[in-house]
Amino acid sequence: MSHSSPHVLLELRGVQKRYGGVRALRGADFEVLAGEVHALVGENGAGKSTLIKIVSGAEVADEGTVEVDGVPLAGGSTQAAMAAGIATVYQEPHLFGELTVAENVFLGRELRAGGRVDWTAQRTRVGELLAQIGLDPEIGDVRVADLPVAEQQLVSIAKAFAHSAKVLILDEPSAILTDREIEVLFGVVRNLRAAGVGIVYISHRLDELAHISDRVTVMRDGAVVATRPTRELSVRQVAELMVGHELSTRATDRAVPAGDPVLDVAGLGRTGAFEGLDLQVRPAEVVALYGLVGSGTSPIARALYGITPADTGAVRVDGREVRLRSPQDAAAAGIAMLPGDRKQQGVFANKSIAFNISSAHLRHLARLGFWFDRAKERSIALDFLKRIAIKAPSPDTVVGALSGGNQQKVVLARQLVRAPRVLLLEEPTQGVDVGAKEEIHRLVLELADGGSAVLVISTDLPEVLQIADRVLVVRRGAVVREFGRGASQADVLAAAAGDDGGAPAVVGARADGGDR
Amino acid sequence: MTETQVPPTPVNGREERGESLPARVLRVALTERVVLLAVLLVVVVVWFRVLGDGGYLVAPYDVRYLGNALESMVPFALLAMAELFVIVSGRGGIDLSVGAIVSLAGMVFGLTVGVWGWPLVPSVVACIAVGALLGAVNGALVAYLRFPALIATLATYYAYSSIALVSNANAPISTPPVVALHGLTRNVDLPLLPPVPLHVFTILLPCAVLAWVLLSRSTYGRSLYAVGTNDVAAGYATQRVTRTRFSAYVISGLLSGVVALVTVAQFASARPDAGTVGNGMALPAITVAVLGGVAIQGGIGRVGGVLVAALLVTWLNAGMLLAFEGSEGSRYQLLALGLVLVLSALLNTLALRRYGRLS
Amino acid sequence: MTATATAPKQVRRRRRVRAIEGQELALIAVTGLLWVVLSVATDTFLTSGNIQNILFTVAPIALIGIGMTAVIVTAGIDVSVGSQAAVVMVVIALLVRDAGLAFVPALAVAIVSGLVLGAVNGLLVAYGGIHPIIVTFGTLNIYRFVALQIFGSEQVAGVPGTFSPIGGGAEGRLLGVPTAWWLTLVLAAGMWAYMRFWATGRHLYAVGGDALAARLAGVRVRRRQISAYVLTGACVGLAACVLIGSGGLVQQNVGSGLELRVIAAVVIGGTSIIGGRGTVLGTLLGALLVGTVTSAVTLLSWPSELTQLFIGLFILVAVGVDLLRERRRSTR
Repeated sequence: MSHSSPHVLLELRGVQKRYGGVRALRGADFEVLAGEVHALVGENGAGKSTLIKIVSGAEVADEGTVEVDGVPLAGGSTQAAMAAGIATVYQEPHLFGELTVAENVFLGRELRAGGRVDWTAQRTRVGELLAQIGLDPEIGDVRVADLPVAEQQLVSIAKAFAHSAKVLILDEPSAILTDREIEVLFGVVRNLRAAGVGIVYISHRLDELAHISDRVTVMRDGAVVATRPTRELSVRQVAELMVGHELSTRATDRAVPAGDPVLDVAGLGRTGAFEGLDLQVRPAEVVALYGLVGSGTSPIARALYGITPADTGAVRVDGREVRLRSPQDAAAAGIAMLPGDRKQQGVFANKSIAFNISSAHLRHLARLGFWFDRAKERSIALDFLKRIAIKAPSPDTVVGALSGGNQQKVVLARQLVRAPRVLLLEEPTQGVDVGAKEEIHRLVLELADGGSAVLVISTDLPEVLQIADRVLVVRRGAVVREFGRGASQADVLAAAAGDDGGAPAVVGARADGGDR
Repeated sequence: MTETQVPPTPVNGREERGESLPARVLRVALTERVVLLAVLLVVVVVWFRVLGDGGYLVAPYDVRYLGNALESMVPFALLAMAELFVIVSGRGGIDLSVGAIVSLAGMVFGLTVGVWGWPLVPSVVACIAVGALLGAVNGALVAYLRFPALIATLATYYAYSSIALVSNANAPISTPPVVALHGLTRNVDLPLLPPVPLHVFTILLPCAVLAWVLLSRSTYGRSLYAVGTNDVAAGYATQRVTRTRFSAYVISGLLSGVVALVTVAQFASARPDAGTVGNGMALPAITVAVLGGVAIQGGIGRVGGVLVAALLVTWLNAGMLLAFEGSEGSRYQLLALGLVLVLSALLNTLALRRYGRLS
Repeated sequence: MTATATAPKQVRRRRRVRAIEGQELALIAVTGLLWVVLSVATDTFLTSGNIQNILFTVAPIALIGIGMTAVIVTAGIDVSVGSQAAVVMVVIALLVRDAGLAFVPALAVAIVSGLVLGAVNGLLVAYGGIHPIIVTFGTLNIYRFVALQIFGSEQVAGVPGTFSPIGGGAEGRLLGVPTAWWLTLVLAAGMWAYMRFWATGRHLYAVGGDALAARLAGVRVRRRQISAYVLTGACVGLAACVLIGSGGLVQQNVGSGLELRVIAAVVIGGTSIIGGRGTVLGTLLGALLVGTVTSAVTLLSWPSELTQLFIGLFILVAVGVDLLRERRRSTR
C-alpha cells in the first residue's frame, strides 16, 4: 500500500464559492492520495456537494486552485475534468433505459473500429468490468431498463471506471443498494485502491466509513474542520465533529403540549417502504421524523398525505378515523403538506404569487360553486405578503422570479390559508437562506401555537432539534429511537446513522428502495 | 434531475420599473400577446386599405367585406379555443382529431335532422353530445390510460373520419331540412356597423364568453392552468389532475360538435369530409392557438389572444384573396399560415426565455 | 437482531437484446395471420399481381418511414413529409418532362431537394428551440405553398416514364418483386445496421431518451437531430420518384395525408413517440400491415373508407400494448 512519500492525485487549496449571498465554500482544502479511500462527510449544506461539483467540472470556484496530478484543472467543463481523469458517480443513475449496459458504459466514448463501434472490444471490456463489480458478465447486452434499480446503480459505477480514472468520486453510492451489493461495491473500491486509484467516498452512513475508508474529512459550514485517519475516530466522534459545538441557545421555549392527540397513527405500513409506524402528535406539538436519505421518512410523509397510500394501519385526526387514498382525502381530513421538492412538487413557476397561494383552495374561494373570487384571492395574497415578508412588489409577481427562500414561503403560505389541523412539512428549509429559514420556523411555530399538530420530516438535524418538541429517529423504515427536547445532535445522528449503543454496526442493514 | 428545467431569468420589480422605454415596449410586445396581435391587426387592415386605395386589389377591402369575412372565422376561432383547452391541459396536450369530430358530429346532425326527421333541438343536442362523447374517448385515452396525446388523437382522427365517411356511404346529406339551416348564417344588419353573419352573435360570441368565464373566471380554469403548468404540484395542491385533464378533451370535443353545426349550416349540407378535407381543420386551429400565445408545453394561453389571432388570420387571408388572382390567393394563405406559426412559436420561446412568462 | 436483511430475492429473467423484438414478432404474426385468412377468404389475395401491388404501394410509406423512425427515436416528429413529397414530385416531374432529365440525374435532384427541405426542419428544431410538431406543421404549409407555386395553376400532365424502373409496371420489377420494394429493403437494412451498430446511430436513442444527459455524456445532440430530419428528407426524395413511377399525371394534392400514414406505420411498428425506442424493422412491418389491411378492405369489397378505422385501431392497440409493457417494467 502506501510508501514513503504518498503521491497526491487531487489537491484543492483555499477553494471558495458563493451562491448569491450564501457562502457555500469558505476556503476549503482537500487532498486525495493515490491508493486511498477518502471519506467526505458533513451535514446537508456543509459544502460537500459544492466541492464535488467544482472537482467534476459542473461548477467553477470563485477562488482557490484545483490540481489533478499536479496539473491545474480548467473549471466549469465536465469534459475537461473527465479528460483529466476524474470520474463521478452520482446518487441517481444517469443511464439510458433503451441502450444496453455496454452501450451505456461507453456512451459518447465508444471504442471504435472505423466508424463502427468495436462491439467485440466493448463486450470484452464490459465483461471484465461487470465481473469486477460482481455482476453477471453476460448482462453487457441487456437493456438497462430491464435491470433492477440497484444493478443499474452498479452499472453506473462500472461506467465511472471504464475509462481508467485517476480519481473516482462516489456520491452516496450506497443509498439505494442492498447489503450484498454494498459488499460488492466495497470489494470493487478496495480493488481500485490497490490499483492506485484515489477514491472520494461520500456517505451519510457513518457506520460504513470504518469498513471502507482510510481517512475521513469532515466539513461544516463550507469549511473543512478535520481530516484524520478513520481508525482514530468512532462514529460518535465523527458525528460530534460534523455537528460542532452544540447550539447554546434554544430558539424557543414552548409550553409542553397536552391534550388528546390531533394526529394519531397506529401500525401504519407500506410494503417495501416502512412498517408498524405508531405516532401521536398532540395539539400545539411539533414532532420531527428524522432519518437519513433512504431511511423511509419520505414514503411516510407521502402516505400520510395520500399520495402513495399506506396498505396497513389506521390514521385518526381529532379522534376520527380517516381514509387517506388521495390528497383530497387528506385535505378533507384537515391535513396539509409542504412537499419536499419545491421545484417539482411545490411551485407553479410561471404563475403569480396569488395563483400559487390560492391553488389548493379553489373551492374555498368559489362563489356560487364555480365563480372564482379573485378579489378574495388577492386580499389573501396581499395579507401573506405582509405577514411573512415575501420580498416581491405585488401578488402578481411570477413565482419563478423569486429566490428559493421566497418561493418556499409562497408554497408554505398555500398550506396556511386555512389553518390546517395537521401540517406535514417535508424538508421545509432545504436550499433556502438563513433569513427565510427563521421566518419559516416562526410561521410553523405560530401555527402550532394555534393548536395545530405539526410533523416535520427532515434530514436537517439542527433544524429538527431547534423546532421539534420530540424527535423520532427512523431507520430501515421503522422508528428506532425517540428523543425529547434538549437531545444532543451527536446522539440523534448516531442513532440515525446506525450506532446502536456499543453493538457493532452492521453494514447496510436496512430496508432498500425506501425512497425511490 | 434539476438541470432540465431552466429557471427563467429573474425579473424583479426594480428592473421592471427602471427599464428604458424601448426595453419596455419590447417586453410588453413579447409578453402581452394580445397587445402585439392587436397592433399587427391594425397593420394588416391599414396595409390592405392602402393597397386597395392604390388599386392593387381586385375588390374593395372595405368594412362590408371584412364583416362578410367573419363567416370563415367562426369555425376556426371555435376550434382554436378547443385546442386552447387541450394544449393548456399540459403533458404534450394536443387534439388532432377536431376536424374528424366536426365531420362525424356533422353527419350525426345531418342524419338526425335531415334523414330521420328529428326536430331541430334534439338534433342539435345529439350533435353536440356526440362531439363531447368523441372528445371523452380522447380524454380517456390521454388522461386515464396515459396515451401520448399526439398519437391518441391521430388514431381517433383516423377512426372518426372513417366512421364519418362510412356513415352515409361517403355521400353528403343535403335534404330540405338541412338546407333550411343555411338561414343560421345569414347576414344581419346592425346599426352603424356593416352586416355581420348571424352566427357570429348566436354561436361564436356566446361560446367565447363561456370559454373565457371557464378559463379566466372560474375555479375550473384555475385548476386547469395549475394541472397544465405542473401536474405533480397540482396533485400536491389537491387538484384532481386526471379528471381535469380529461375534461379539457371533452370540452374540445364539445366545441368541435358546435363547429359541426356551423359547418353544416354554412354548406347547407352535412358533408362526411367537412373537417378533414385537404389539410383538415386541426392544423389551422392549432396554428391560430399558437399564434394567440398558447404555449405548447401547457399551462399558458388565453381566450382573448386566441380570438384576436383568429381575427388577424381571417382578415389577413381575406386580404390576400383580393391581392392575388385566382387560386394564388389561397396559395399565399398557406405560406402566411406556415410562417406565422413558426414565427409565433419562436416568439413564444423568446418571451419565455427572456421574461419567464407569457400571457 | 439488527441484521435482519429485508432484501427480497430478486427473481427475474434476463432479457438480452435480440435481433427481433417481441412487438416485431407480434406484427409478423398478425400480418401472417391476415395473409392466411385473406388467402382463404378471397381468390384474389394470394395472386402475384396483388402481392406486387401491395408491396409497391407500401414502398413509399416504408421508405419515408425509415427516416421518420430516426426522427421519432430522437423524440421528434416530422409532419411535413407529405408537402416535402409534393415539392420534390413537382420539381422532378417538370424536369423529366420539360428538360428531359434522365433517370439517374433526376433521382439525384430528387434526393438533394429532399435533403434541403429536411435540413430546414432539422435546423429549426435543433437551433430554434421550437417543438418539432410546431416546426413541421409550419413547414407543412410553407412547403405546400412552394409546391403549388411551382405547379403554377395547373397539374403536371404527360410525365414520361423515366422512373418506370422503380415504378409499378412490369419493367419496375426484379425477380417478380417491385424494384421499389428491393430499394426499400436495402435502405432499411442499411439503416437498421446503422441504428444498431454504429456509434452515431446508437446516439439517436440517447438523444431521444434524455437529450441533456446525452449532451453531458459527449453526444452531439444537435447534429444527431439535424441528421435525422435530413435523412427523412432524402428518403422523401426517393419516395417521390417511386410515387411518380411510370409517369402520367402529377396532381396538385399529391402527398397530402402521407405524413399521417407514415407516422401510423412507424408507431404500429413499435417506435415510441416519446423517443428513445424503435427499430426500422418494426416500421417496415408496420407499413406492410397497413398495406395488407388496405388491400384486404378492397378485396373484401368493404367500403374503402374503413381502412382508416382499422389503421386507427391498430395504432391504439400498438401503443396500448407498449404502454402496458412500460408499466410492467417500471413496477418491477
